[in-house]
Amino acid sequence: MDIRRREFIKGAAAAAALTAVGLPVNAMLAQQAEAANMGITWDKAPCRFCGTGCGVLVGVKNGKVVATKGDAEAPVNKGLNCIKGYFLAKIMYGEDRLTKPLLRKGDKFEEISWDEALDKIAAEMQKVIKESGPQAIGMFGSGQWTIHEGYVASKFMKAGVGSNSIDPNARFCMASAVAAFMKTFGSDEPMGNYDDLDLGDTYFLWGANMSECHPILFSRMTANRVKNPNVKIIDFATRYSRTSKEADHYVEFKPQTDLALANGIAHVIVRDKLYNEDFIKANTIFKTGKTNIGYGVEDNFSFTDKEEVIDFDTYKKMIKEYTPKKVEELSGVPAKAVEEMAKLYADPKRKVCSYWTMGFNQHVRGTWVNQLVYNIHLLTGKIAQPGQGPFSLTGQPSACGTAREVGTFAHRLPSDMVVMNPEHRKIAGKIWNVDPESIPAKPGFHATEMLRALDRGDIKFLWVQVNNPFQAAPNVDRFRKGARKKGRFVVVSDAYPTRSTEVADLILPTAMWVEKEGMFGNAERRTQHWNKMADAPGESKEDLWQIIEVAKRMGMGKLFDFPKDKPLHQAIFEEYRQFTLGTGKDLAPYEVYKKERGVIWPYINGKSVPWRYNEKYDPLVAKGSGIQFYKAKKYDKKAAIYFRPYEPAAEPPDASYPFWLCTGRVLEHWHTGTMTARVPELHRAVPEAVCELNPEDAKKMKVKNRDKIRLTTRRGSLELLASVGERGIPGKGSVFVPFFDENKMINNLTLDAFCPISKEPDYKKCAVKVEKV
Amino acid sequence: MSANNVKQPQKNLPTGVKGALVGAGASCLVLKAGSGYGWMLRPPGAVAEDDFLKKCLRCGRCAHVCPYDAVKMGKLSDGLAIGTPVIVPREMPCYLCSDLPCVKACPSGALDPELKDPLKTRMGTAVISEREECLSIKGLRCEVCYRACPVIDKAITVENYLNVKTGRHAIFEPVVHKKDCTGCGICEKACVLERPAIVVQPLQPPTESWYES
Repeated sequence: MDIRRREFIKGAAAAAALTAVGLPVNAMLAQQAEAANMGITWDKAPCRFCGTGCGVLVGVKNGKVVATKGDAEAPVNKGLNCIKGYFLAKIMYGEDRLTKPLLRKGDKFEEISWDEALDKIAAEMQKVIKESGPQAIGMFGSGQWTIHEGYVASKFMKAGVGSNSIDPNARFCMASAVAAFMKTFGSDEPMGNYDDLDLGDTYFLWGANMSECHPILFSRMTANRVKNPNVKIIDFATRYSRTSKEADHYVEFKPQTDLALANGIAHVIVRDKLYNEDFIKANTIFKTGKTNIGYGVEDNFSFTDKEEVIDFDTYKKMIKEYTPKKVEELSGVPAKAVEEMAKLYADPKRKVCSYWTMGFNQHVRGTWVNQLVYNIHLLTGKIAQPGQGPFSLTGQPSACGTAREVGTFAHRLPSDMVVMNPEHRKIAGKIWNVDPESIPAKPGFHATEMLRALDRGDIKFLWVQVNNPFQAAPNVDRFRKGARKKGRFVVVSDAYPTRSTEVADLILPTAMWVEKEGMFGNAERRTQHWNKMADAPGESKEDLWQIIEVAKRMGMGKLFDFPKDKPLHQAIFEEYRQFTLGTGKDLAPYEVYKKERGVIWPYINGKSVPWRYNEKYDPLVAKGSGIQFYKAKKYDKKAAIYFRPYEPAAEPPDASYPFWLCTGRVLEHWHTGTMTARVPELHRAVPEAVCELNPEDAKKMKVKNRDKIRLTTRRGSLELLASVGERGIPGKGSVFVPFFDENKMINNLTLDAFCPISKEPDYKKCAVKVEKV
Repeated sequence: MSANNVKQPQKNLPTGVKGALVGAGASCLVLKAGSGYGWMLRPPGAVAEDDFLKKCLRCGRCAHVCPYDAVKMGKLSDGLAIGTPVIVPREMPCYLCSDLPCVKACPSGALDPELKDPLKTRMGTAVISEREECLSIKGLRCEVCYRACPVIDKAITVENYLNVKTGRHAIFEPVVHKKDCTGCGICEKACVLERPAIVVQPLQPPTESWYES
């Protein structure tokens, strides 16, 4: 592929304005192009950041990425990017890139060789296994692991070490969506795809600042509205964001009362008989579970739901109390608006989609609130059809592909299987060629509990890969201190120094993105492959090499004895693919991914299934059934409508801590900023985290824009600049702080309460005091 | 550890050049990137330029009290402005301090003491000076200037229209409304391009037109 003339001219113009530092991408390109007479090779890759999975073309020269551009052939983004994606070429070349293994000696780190580092890890792990058992070994993984990496890590921990304490940061991100999809439909991940953004006409956003956090998808939804004036976007949120500004209706509710609001909508649909009776009869059952289920704030918290099947009449009785009037009292949303929204959802002429992200998932009743939205779609039969259905957006590039599909959670195995099920362990044992009994049947520590266990000493060895939990975990100060306690050994594999390498005992310099071959799976079930294109700097090595080398040193090399007649990554994928075949989550042959701009699963008879559970598109649906939730095997292939009540948050504001604290993201930075903050242009655009206040609250406190304020919770305190009347306006009584800034550790303040079912922490709600400094 | 490696072009002369060299530098006026074609962006509340040059005592108090070091004293290369306060947004814009310390510090009325609300200042107005370079207009989801704007949704709004190139995405074009723009230059500083596509320029009064009535 050659650079096109337009890029070249653009680059050449920019080159004229070159300065020695901070080359913009197109100037870098121009410089390279001029020097080498266009000797750049281009290849495809998915973007490194969010779960949208935009396609980019990566330009490489002499083993270095010199440019990136949106891939016009990629169906997700058709050549566009957000501003983070535009600067992808720079994320690998921050000045402080790690290049050598570093071992802690007191307060300093010393360079050591890879052999020494790998020997040390193997020795530390073996020591811990001998003294405390394999359950004292933990691996903290990521939705940024490639599919290969997650697969190797999972096999290493579950079939090799014999510990299920492997959990990804995806637990912090979409575990609630997983739990709810599994319970309601018997299979994880949405039924629709991004074409729904073009094909629907009514979009409900729940706790999703899509304009900033899924910018390209929001651009698509907006284009649909530009073309079709009938399209409506409704934003349910607790904070007025850039998405609210673009929406046709902004419906603000008090934190946590989305539970009441969703039930209120279902109430009106049931009360006015707006539901689709035929669909309900053919495709659903009704269920409920325990109430008063707790918040998981105490160590070793455990919860087991007690589910029971009910009937439609019982459900009707249970939902009766959520009258629009009661919903108004709880949520602050006018009863009239509840009625209107219910009618909009149920209008037979409207094609309705719901999208959500962290507002729903990071929620002490995250599983419930996810299910409550499925309820609305199931009651109205608006599901699994072009332009209609519930869709959980993801925040990491392979939250779906790796964390959810490979199953790198403490309780999961690949392809919707779980360690607790002996049949599933048998299948895994067969493919992994190990005794199924060697895979522990008890789930390991989930992410938050794993960090607590590290503090307590129940985890003594922790290996962190491709993420930054010691900035991103809730109530993180406890875990940072825990990591440094005597008798703990923490290994961190990363490309850069982070808040996590800061507390490590051993740091491994790690190849990132196109410095290795990999595959990511995005939110619409699209699996995307890229080749290794660039060289990792210094002695950096890819994560899966690190794991396999340690495994060999621990006598577990057999696990990774892949067929030698194929390249390693292909062999790993082909083994993994066996888990998916015939399950309805079937992946395509490796060669297909090499060629295509991603392929949506299930891939059956050489074709992708764009809408699962729909006979017209999905060959797994029994003939004549129209819609069939065939993965819900326990209940005769029917999805479950769950009654779930409103219950209050874990730590509501009180006299001492009178505000709600909510955390989140901005468009310019991604997660903890370890990549985006190293891009000078993005750092300049948003150099630090500020605290958004509601203008009325600010006025009462006599706080003006950019005044210094102090936030204090029961766990910690932080000084920030106030932002009043700028990009986001939290509801009255709430404040909002983004979490990207390593110099403003907002997670020292957040609470590690979580959804008892999904174990996903609630980063959106704890009580905070706000003072002017 | 933080990637604080944003390097900006530095002026090469130290501040505090003594002597009244008014006019001496006029022939070597430097067109600094982003400073708007050689005109001087003055601190908040600055009176009209002719008047300003008469009233400003060149005392440097406004620069001294600026908490962001955004207000700098003009140098030889700035020609007529020598010794007078200027803001170069690309180096450091005006963050519109709520208590306007620069205005309070001005002893001569060159910065109008009647200005109490920083959002009412009109130092200049932002202009998308290079539409063909603007990444948002090209269809990327950038709009960094818009979200950085302290008068967001008034001074800068975003207008949507169809991206005909892809046929299924929208363009989010930032549009400046000079009625509400303070001229603070935060957008100019934030623009991710090497040469910003949005810059602060002199504020001209609105043109009267029969068409508008």
